[in-house]
Amino acid sequence: MKEKTLIKVKNMERHYKSGEGIVRALDGVSFEIKEGEFIAVMGASGSGKTTMLRILGLMDDLTKGEYSVQGLNVEELPEEERTYYRLTQLGYVFQDYALMNEMSALENVYVLSLMEGNTKKESIATAQEALEKVGLGNKGDRIPDQLSGGEKQRVAVARAIAKKPKILFADEPCANLDTHTSEQVLEVLRNLNKNFRQTIVMVTHEQWHTKYASRLIKLKDGKIISDKKLRK
Amino acid sequence: MLNDIKVGLLSAKSSIKRGNKKTLTFIVFVLALIFMNLVFLPSMIGGMMGLFTGFMQYPYGDIVVEPSGDNIYINNADNVLQKVRTVPDVTFATKRLDAGASIQYKQKVVGSSIIGILPSEEYGVSEYPNIITEGEFLGDISRDEIIIGAMLVEGYFGSEIYDNLGAVRVGSLVDVTYSNGEERTYKVKGIMEGTFELVDLNALVHYKEIEDVFGVDDGKATSVVVRVKNLEEVAETKEKIITAGVKEPVFTRDEKSDAILRQAMQSIGMIDVVSKFVSLIVGAALILIIIYINVLNRKKEIGILKAVGISPHSIVLSYAFISMFYVSLGIIAGLILYFFLMFYFTINPVTFYETMTIIPEIQVGLIINSIFTMLILSVIAGILPAWRVSKENILDAIWGR
Repeated sequence: MKEKTLIKVKNMERHYKSGEGIVRALDGVSFEIKEGEFIAVMGASGSGKTTMLRILGLMDDLTKGEYSVQGLNVEELPEEERTYYRLTQLGYVFQDYALMNEMSALENVYVLSLMEGNTKKESIATAQEALEKVGLGNKGDRIPDQLSGGEKQRVAVARAIAKKPKILFADEPCANLDTHTSEQVLEVLRNLNKNFRQTIVMVTHEQWHTKYASRLIKLKDGKIISDKKLRK
Repeated sequence: MLNDIKVGLLSAKSSIKRGNKKTLTFIVFVLALIFMNLVFLPSMIGGMMGLFTGFMQYPYGDIVVEPSGDNIYINNADNVLQKVRTVPDVTFATKRLDAGASIQYKQKVVGSSIIGILPSEEYGVSEYPNIITEGEFLGDISRDEIIIGAMLVEGYFGSEIYDNLGAVRVGSLVDVTYSNGEERTYKVKGIMEGTFELVDLNALVHYKEIEDVFGVDDGKATSVVVRVKNLEEVAETKEKIITAGVKEPVFTRDEKSDAILRQAMQSIGMIDVVSKFVSLIVGAALILIIIYINVLNRKKEIGILKAVGISPHSIVLSYAFISMFYVSLGIIAGLILYFFLMFYFTINPVTFYETMTIIPEIQVGLIINSIFTMLILSVIAGILPAWRVSKENILDAIWGR
């Protein structure tokens, strides 16, 4: 069965002004992402991997090039539609969890479903299911301060997957975690990919994280220097 | 929109429920003081206005009928009285004749207004019979007797400010020269003290005296003074008097007071207006600063909410709800503090000019206005900074740039 193409990126460029000069954070990046892939993006600091993920997550704009999701040129969407697209189609896991400190784990997850227009009851049920998937079904009433780093990151993953996004972006999700906790989070991502065919794009610094991925893209100075499949 | 409200409420509820309680207490305390500032001073000024308006009952009763146009007299005052007395809400009514005169005691002479009254009728209409501090009030046969105001008598409050008659006392004989040159000698029957110039610089004689002196026809008066059953319905009673056929101009005490107090109280009124304006500006600025700091502290959270797909409308609404909650608590705390102070100052009134006590006046309209003003300000104060931050670039908001 031929896998469907989800994302198409062509000659993506992102330039920043820096003093008198211009920094080319991304310099002509092109690739495609197919449904069900688990892609790890690696590169040294300043290679452009986080910039790329932010653009893919519709949080930043590209300077030149094309970016489409399932044929829709999402770059050209007005701000309001981009917000709605982020809400309904994309999931994003931040390096530092980015949870609302005054909301419980369950509230952090179900607020998005509520925003989509579901009832509170439906939203809570979906959020509970997502928390179960990341192994936190019994900790929904805890606020972030009452959770460990790994648990917070799993809540962030649950928030991202509860709405069943087309693609899940994870920006160094284990950067603040120890090895054991990192393994737990990565295992959650692998299960989502394996059991639910969740498409995942994960930026990471650690080589060993790539064993969970099916494809590895390496960046250097804003350019792709390697793009290879890791496992079937 | 409904989704925005639901998310805004959830976000606001969790912020309030799990937010820092010390910060909340501090914000509520400051907001309570802002509310107090809006209502307290105007209440004190209101009390002062009430005190002065109260004095107006001496010349005007609750309602006063005055000569029409340039006329000096109401020509058929008895007829007017008859019509006024047919109105069921009127309890008492009497006529008066005022005249200008100078009063002399030994070598001292002062100018004064002499009010001709029908003594037995005044008991039902005015407070004159109740403010006699020395001697007695006039009787119906008191034709050669006079009541003089306390500020005309040496030693009484206020007498040092104005010209006075020296050591005149009850039983002293004073010479009165009326504005038409007619002279009469009266025995001082009493001294009245109302601690207000409009009363204490005047003198009272029998109505018939003024009639005699000026040779006016029977039934003429310079005013007909009316007392009503229910002061709350004084405006309706006034209308009924007009409907009863009184053609002369009819005024309520407040209407007469307004004109006089507008001048006398102009400075205090200005202070009142300026105080309200400054309170409002200071209140608005403080609410805005408090909420703005609150929003800035949550800038990162706003960025996160936007990043995960929460609409800017929900974010803005959430802060409007939070702001309204803070301000509502501030108003409740402010009201408690306000009523406590009102209670305190009612028991321990502020003394003014040694004898006048100012009891603050609780003005329901002012309180309601202040509550609405604070709530409107809170919505603006909540929306403005949140709207600004919600329009920022997501990454700038998250990374606090």
